[in-house]
Amino acid sequence: MLELFSYGDTGWGDEILMGLATTMKLAVATLPVGMIIGFLIAFAAMSGIRAVRYVGVGYTTIMRGLPEILTLFVVYNGAGLLLNSLIKWWNPEAEGTDFSPFLAGVIALAMVFGAFAAEVIRGAYNSLDKGQIEAAAAVGMTPQQTFWRIKLPQLWRFALPGIGNLWINMLKDTALVSVIALDDLMRMTKVAVGVTKQPFTFYLVACLIYWVLCVLSEMILSRMERHANRGVRRA
Amino acid sequence: MIPMDPSGPILSAIDIRKSFGDVEVLKGISLDAKKHDVISILGASGSGKSTFLRCLNFLETPTSGKVIIHGDEINVQNGQPKMSVPIEDIRKRLGMVFQQFNLWTHRTVLENVMEGLIHVRKKSRGEARSIAENYIERVGLSQRVDAYPGHLSGGQQQRVAIARALAMEPDAILFDEPTSALDPELVGEVLKVMQSLAEEGRTMIVVTHEMAFAREVSSEVVFLHQGKVLEKGTPDEMFATPKSEEFKRFIASM
Amino acid sequence: MNPIEIMVSYWPRMLDGTLMTLKLTILGALIAGAISPWLALVRSHGSLIAQTPIRIYVSFVRGTPILAQLFLVFYGSGQFRPELMELGLWNFFRDPFNCAILVFVLNSTAYQTEIMRGGIQGVNLGEIEAAKAIGMTRMTILRRVIFPHAYRIAWPALSNEIILLMKASALASVVTVFDIMGRTRQIFSKTFDFSIYLWAALIYLAITSLFVFGWHRIERRLNRHILPRNNANAVS
Repeated sequence: MLELFSYGDTGWGDEILMGLATTMKLAVATLPVGMIIGFLIAFAAMSGIRAVRYVGVGYTTIMRGLPEILTLFVVYNGAGLLLNSLIKWWNPEAEGTDFSPFLAGVIALAMVFGAFAAEVIRGAYNSLDKGQIEAAAAVGMTPQQTFWRIKLPQLWRFALPGIGNLWINMLKDTALVSVIALDDLMRMTKVAVGVTKQPFTFYLVACLIYWVLCVLSEMILSRMERHANRGVRRA
Repeated sequence: MIPMDPSGPILSAIDIRKSFGDVEVLKGISLDAKKHDVISILGASGSGKSTFLRCLNFLETPTSGKVIIHGDEINVQNGQPKMSVPIEDIRKRLGMVFQQFNLWTHRTVLENVMEGLIHVRKKSRGEARSIAENYIERVGLSQRVDAYPGHLSGGQQQRVAIARALAMEPDAILFDEPTSALDPELVGEVLKVMQSLAEEGRTMIVVTHEMAFAREVSSEVVFLHQGKVLEKGTPDEMFATPKSEEFKRFIASM
Repeated sequence: MNPIEIMVSYWPRMLDGTLMTLKLTILGALIAGAISPWLALVRSHGSLIAQTPIRIYVSFVRGTPILAQLFLVFYGSGQFRPELMELGLWNFFRDPFNCAILVFVLNSTAYQTEIMRGGIQGVNLGEIEAAKAIGMTRMTILRRVIFPHAYRIAWPALSNEIILLMKASALASVVTVFDIMGRTRQIFSKTFDFSIYLWAALIYLAITSLFVFGWHRIERRLNRHILPRNNANAVS
């Protein structure tokens, strides 16, 4: 049993670890992109310009209503088709190429993450204390200074629990990329199952690894929350 | 900059008007504050006194009127301010202390006071730190420099807020009902600090309900009623011989 | 083909897929909805020994991808084929639809349990004491006081959970269940016409919108005792 998961030619330990590495890379690459999308969409949804506001609100409404796997296929196949027609238009002789599944994964997951993050950021922005922002104006800070020095650090505190949840959801959603042939944890598990014919054992191990990742994330997040909330509540 | 007369006002507000929609809450208020003046603004709630104070540093933009600070003039017509210097330059010359303290909850006491020194006054960290520590000591909170606002009592928070305003070394400090949000037993410590500032000769404009403060500490009292100045004068004459029925009733109700 | 033509030729399949998605979602949500209140009761009032397995179960479900859970049940059951055959359960696990429903129920039960726990713990203790004081039995208190309040509190969160479940049901397509997503992928692999994905998106959004609309109406009814009575003046 143990040798099934050993490192090297006879066991699947190294393959599964490589899959785990891909999963982590994907999640870590998605986070900043998703946050940027989240901020852009949140500010669009709060914009004073009606058309911009509609784009922001429309984006979150649509993206949150679609299955993640559909978004992934739309990005993967759609971007693939677009890329190929661009290549054909540039050079009709060129061979068709496949859109990178990793890139498709990052884009799709970030699009989903961004839509939910936008709602979290918007909620956090609305819970900022107006008085503290006025106090910043009263000491003579410019709006830019007020944003970077007062609003953003506090936004972080309000948004952290929500963003933490989204991180965990996104970590789990990375499993979807196995469907578009990216060698993540899920897909490496599938490969191992194909050879060993022990589906339950291997999928259980995959589940346990995801579980550990999520529980670890939760522990780190609750520490971060405690740090972010230091001094806010009365002792 | 207009050359200044040393005995002239450092802060003048001329014919300030403010409407919210159809409701005119300030109907042309003027006020001059000379150096060392302590002006108490009294009035029932809804008289427009807080709005007027907030118009002085443009947290609220008046509908029309003129504010002159140290010779720099901001002229507002139809809600459009015209100014010779950026609004931030005006604001940093006017400290403000709020009813709800409005300390930045993510910063310690020391950081709250240093923030404006570093990022608005552009002082070095070291210099900002020693200035901040000095003013925190001034309000009697040296023991709590590293505490977060959430760990302080209301009275302590308000004293930090006063230190934050003082540290900017403003020409005048605006107080917007600084003791109204405090539990009664904490009012005294804040008033004591304010009184000592008055004795030091700081220029202060105070919107308040504290009659004793208005009477004993201020050099001038202004009574607002329905968006207008109904009476003003020294506290002695104002309280001894109130002229209007409204002010009589107001004193009696306090 | 243009987007209209593709829908004209493939609408029966898409309709079939839509019905399958609805079936997966409704069946999953209902079964989970029948189990979760009881687990939530144990979770909020039960002994520590009774709570622990529920906590672990909820944590496991929330900490693993649904896709992994689906593979664990659908493919994993194959590892125990002889045993399952002996128990007469093999026919159940052989069918991807059954496996999908089982996983969705397990999944939604975990989430709904947490939501209902919040609702139960949000019930005003004074009202429960009042019910005890007039001599209600525990069961009557549950039925007449705790659950009505708990559902009112939990209602908006339950709505979110059902939408999440509907979105998750698209994963069934990966184990060859022909829901909206399954039909869409099937049609795309035949036609390479991208617009079918946009149609799928439109159908999902339509289902979500209709669902949210209906849910709100029920919510208003549940909250009728605390809604402002706008019409009071108009009537008198």
